[in-house]
Amino acid sequence: MTIYDIFKTFFKMGIILFGGGFVILPAAQAELAEKKQWLTHEEICEFYALARSVPGIVAPNFSVFAGYKLKKIKGAIAALTGLIMPAFLSIVILAEIFEAVIHMKFVRSMFWGIGIGVVMLIFLSVKEMWENSVTEKLSFALFFAAFVLSACFKVSPSAIILTAAALGIALQLKNESSKANGEETE
Amino acid sequence: MIYTELFTEFFRIGFFSFGGGHATLPFLYNIAAVKHWYTVRQLADIIAISSVTPGPVGVNAATFAGYSTAGIAGALIATVSVVLPSFIIIIIVSHLLKQFRENKYVQSVIYVIKPVSCGLLAAVGAEMFVNNVNNIFGFALLAALFVTNIYKKRKPAFFLAVSAFAGFAAGFFNLIN
Repeated sequence: MTIYDIFKTFFKMGIILFGGGFVILPAAQAELAEKKQWLTHEEICEFYALARSVPGIVAPNFSVFAGYKLKKIKGAIAALTGLIMPAFLSIVILAEIFEAVIHMKFVRSMFWGIGIGVVMLIFLSVKEMWENSVTEKLSFALFFAAFVLSACFKVSPSAIILTAAALGIALQLKNESSKANGEETE
Repeated sequence: MIYTELFTEFFRIGFFSFGGGHATLPFLYNIAAVKHWYTVRQLADIIAISSVTPGPVGVNAATFAGYSTAGIAGALIATVSVVLPSFIIIIIVSHLLKQFRENKYVQSVIYVIKPVSCGLLAAVGAEMFVNNVNNIFGFALLAALFVTNIYKKRKPAFFLAVSAFAGFAAGFFNLIN
């Protein structure tokens, strides 16, 4: 396995990455586990779970975890550039064509349709995230607060995420101090 | 300077977006409102294009925004910026994998950020619903996609192909403007 092999394999995975990052999981299982046998199915599932729990876009995150496991820093760079290269190239090439065709009537109609399809895909993304995160009252309240702040009050998403991170730390601090108090009283 | 602005904005997106498939969308909408690199209408097109081209929407949108504001160099800078935070953070996390996974503060922050990211995306979904589903035919198409999904789970590409074709047909018969 050379650096070039890693680049090539992730490039291939990047090509089939359509309509949302979660497609990375089946693509990785097929390419990395079954075909190349570089990683086990369990490792891939673990990297996928990790990719979702660090900042950033899931598919590139996954590629860095997997690439680093295969060949340290060089592997991570090869995997990441391989994965995002098809995305980069297709947009650079399409950007030119796009300007020329976007005002044509049948293209506008198709984009109108795709716009509806995207609403469906976002609904599915929300559903998937919901099932993974909204488990009881507190997480529902957090979901609802973020929704209202963003949709009704147009608070910037960065500010909301930063507040959420601070809240997470505060909750844990409170947790620890109440645990400490509990031990004292006992 | 435009290059530094592209770098900071997309680096920020890479740093703050969390979780699932479309987590970058709330940030991309925010950019449309404050930076004017693209309009909301153009963003809708970017999202549509990104759905039918390879790659995650966050990467595609970064490339597009960079390209339309500052050419190929801009495209390169924006694209690298959006994945750079991931790269740095994950290299660090990979070294400390065990500590990272077992750290109570990390777990608590993730626990809060997950539903919050979901709420942010739901807000984008609501906005896109209002913007995109702008007539009875759109509503009918969306309803049809929902019903199909109840009966059989489909891949994203299926929904996009069906809706692109439906849009084409609707335009052909002059059902939409």
